[in-house]
Amino acid sequence: MCFNSFFFLFFFMLINFFFFVYFIMNGLSVFFEWEIISFNSMSIVMSILLDWMSLLFMMFVSLISSVVIFYSKSYMNSELNLNRLIILVLMFVFSMVLLIISPNLISILLGWDGLGLISYCLVIYYQNLKSYNAGMLTALSNRIGDVMILMVICWIMNYGSWNYIFYFDFMKNDYVMFIISFMIIIAAMTKSAQIPFSSWLPAAMAAPTPVSALVHSSTLVTAGVYLLIRFNYLLIDMFFFKVLLFLSILTMFMSGISANYEFDLKKIIALSTLSQLGLMMSILSLGFPDIAFFHLLTHAMFKALLFMCAGVIIHMMNDIQDIRYMGGLSLYIPLTSLCLNISNLSLCGIPFLSGFYSKDLILEMVSFNSFNLMVFILFYLSTGLTVFYTFRLIMYVMISDFNLMMIYNLYDEDYIMLNSMFVLLFMSLLSGSFLSWFIFFYPYMIYLPFNLKLMVIYVSILGSILGFMVSNMGIYSLNKLLLSYNLSSFLCLMWFMPNLSTYGLSYIYLNFSQILFKNIDMGWSEIYSGKGIFNILKNYSVFYNIYQMNNFKIYLFSFILWFMILFIFFFI
Amino acid sequence: MNNNSNKMFFLFILFFSTLISISSNSWFGCWIGLEINLLSFIPLISNSKNLLSVETSLKYFLTQSLASINFLFMILIKFSLLKNFDMNNIISIMMNSSLLMKMGSAPFHFWFPNIVEGLSWMNNFMLMTWQKISPMILLSYYFNKNFLIFMIIMNLIIGSLGGLNQTSLRKLLAFSSINNLGWMIFSIMISENLWLFYFLIYSMMIFMMISLFFLMNMYFMNQLFINNMNFFIKLNLLINFLSLGGLPPFMGFMPKWIIINFLLINKFYFLTFIFMMTSLIIIYYYIRIIYSSFMFNYFKMKWMNLLMKNNMSLINLSSFISISSMILSTFIFM
Repeated sequence: MCFNSFFFLFFFMLINFFFFVYFIMNGLSVFFEWEIISFNSMSIVMSILLDWMSLLFMMFVSLISSVVIFYSKSYMNSELNLNRLIILVLMFVFSMVLLIISPNLISILLGWDGLGLISYCLVIYYQNLKSYNAGMLTALSNRIGDVMILMVICWIMNYGSWNYIFYFDFMKNDYVMFIISFMIIIAAMTKSAQIPFSSWLPAAMAAPTPVSALVHSSTLVTAGVYLLIRFNYLLIDMFFFKVLLFLSILTMFMSGISANYEFDLKKIIALSTLSQLGLMMSILSLGFPDIAFFHLLTHAMFKALLFMCAGVIIHMMNDIQDIRYMGGLSLYIPLTSLCLNISNLSLCGIPFLSGFYSKDLILEMVSFNSFNLMVFILFYLSTGLTVFYTFRLIMYVMISDFNLMMIYNLYDEDYIMLNSMFVLLFMSLLSGSFLSWFIFFYPYMIYLPFNLKLMVIYVSILGSILGFMVSNMGIYSLNKLLLSYNLSSFLCLMWFMPNLSTYGLSYIYLNFSQILFKNIDMGWSEIYSGKGIFNILKNYSVFYNIYQMNNFKIYLFSFILWFMILFIFFFI
Repeated sequence: MNNNSNKMFFLFILFFSTLISISSNSWFGCWIGLEINLLSFIPLISNSKNLLSVETSLKYFLTQSLASINFLFMILIKFSLLKNFDMNNIISIMMNSSLLMKMGSAPFHFWFPNIVEGLSWMNNFMLMTWQKISPMILLSYYFNKNFLIFMIIMNLIIGSLGGLNQTSLRKLLAFSSINNLGWMIFSIMISENLWLFYFLIYSMMIFMMISLFFLMNMYFMNQLFINNMNFFIKLNLLINFLSLGGLPPFMGFMPKWIIINFLLINKFYFLTFIFMMTSLIIIYYYIRIIYSSFMFNYFKMKWMNLLMKNNMSLINLSSFISISSMILSTFIFM
């Protein structure tokens, strides 16, 4: 099953690649449309839009999913029901492809809901209590986005069909489009885990690692960004875009800080994904959709690679995910640490790896156009934080002393996992330049003063030094953390947003429903319908039985009495 | 008397007496039929070796003869004083009440659970089904609508409330029979054909239940719990009880449905409400028995084995009829 799906998806990726090259070189885009039913003024059509953006995204999705399925053959080989996982992953890929190629909202809804549902099934795959909780959090947060898209479908019926791409140029200033754009932004924010809805992404790390590599790094969370890229012409002058800018740079900043306090390997990577998502959303809301798309694709590559390396390391550490137990691994697992280092450095934006092309372009565009001071500061600060937690991670896992705290099995020669990582390694090295040559026909004109250009490098060096120093903290180092207990718990627990969005929202209703249940369901409702009626009937029956249990002559006498009563009644 | 030939003789006369009573064209002939009915039923139920059954037959004799005397008296008054066909007068009330006493309908029903307690299952079957035919048909010749509606309401209420506190299976079926009498009396007021339909289905359901109880020799409710019946017998009993209560996919729902249809067409709304609610109480009681004895928590005794190998075909057939006859009848009739 694994091999079949791997080959199929790889082949699919090659087809997409060749079509992408052909389409982008000739500037083609193909639009298929099947009309299913048409009544009065509403027509239900199934349409497929194939232009270079959707083909490129499909190519990346199928590449990552084929590599992940191949990887999971070895990662999950002790799983009895591996076919279940493969089928779920394939359904996920199908929903994602449906989302990518659809220019009308109904098929976007199918893909969107499918993504949410299947990611729930994948998160609860291990079926323990933590997975159930995480799955519930994931599913319900995604559900808000589903509701928003449903309402958009409802509102866009105003215009006659659900193909939104036809209405951008004509209806931009309409009130209905205003509402639609608001709801689309909220839907994208739930899917891509921006600030009000960001609690599900670290919690969804309860999923198996290949699933995290596919779902939570490159495909599910970028669906929101992709939707906004498609809707970009509509949203570009609106007020909500500025709100989105604000929230996404705060997301970027917050997750960068929280990742510095985390000690769980997968959570650090999840928070780094969250930070990069904030980056993508913010550059999108500043008005550069193609740069956002570029960063989406390169980030998918190295983040999936990073998750897979994390999976290999977790296997080696006997399923421990805590980085405090790891150390000094670079000496013993050279190939895996090669992949880990390259993906980490690409994440930081080290020159000429793939992440550099997109990140550096983003930062230069932010510096070149005149945005306000807070945007500028938070962008560079978050870049510095990215380098900070990356270097902290590298120090903890790779460079510091070899901790003898766990039973190790440093087996680096698992070539199934390694081959899949090498594919992504190749792509994560080269995809930056490759994509920038394809997507940008002409380079952006950027003219910056010298120090502003080097600001990125200053911030990165500062972050790396801080990361090195922070990771040297041990049990005997003199730190005054207890003095800043409140501040550090605020920063570590993601600014308390998981608590607010789960317990804070539901507390009132759960309390109220307990009062209702106790007083009505187990109280008055029992007296007036359940036990009460039973008691009444029982009493009537007991009362009747007094008349039933009698001598026979009483019965005969009662008959005579009845006759007399009826006789008298007639004459009255 | 234990001789089968004697029983056959009296059974024959019993059947014949009902036919006499129905098909006579004078009230006098009806009365004769009722008397012969009484006289031929008494030897069927009395068994001189058992004191309880003698007492039962005596009780039966006393009540039925009282009713017959009353009936004859009212007939004679009707012949001599009132020569018209007006149905809303005192004579019709009196005639109807004597016929109701013959049937065992409220408020003259007090003898009915007592007598049923003293008879065996097959005699009970006779009492509950065949003995009701001639009074019902005679009722349909000359009834007082307002009086009968009052009687119907009393029947329903007493049948449902009295059955709540019973543990003897015979008394339970007796109260259920009183309740169903209410439905049957109403169906007489609509049309005799409808009464025939209801009566046939009711007697078939009662036959299935009574034959099952007879084969397993069960007279009390605790005997339902402490035996080792196999699954199909339990299922059959479950289905029959639910069908008797009038639950939809089973056979017993069909006549009740048609009667409710007629009730609503003729705008008897309050009466519909009483029919519904008492039906619910009856079904509550059935479900209480069968669920607790067969489904939720039942004992499997090791010291008693009920081998029912020879009778499985009858049981299967009756289950099949109970479940499917409502749907099959739509193929036949519609």
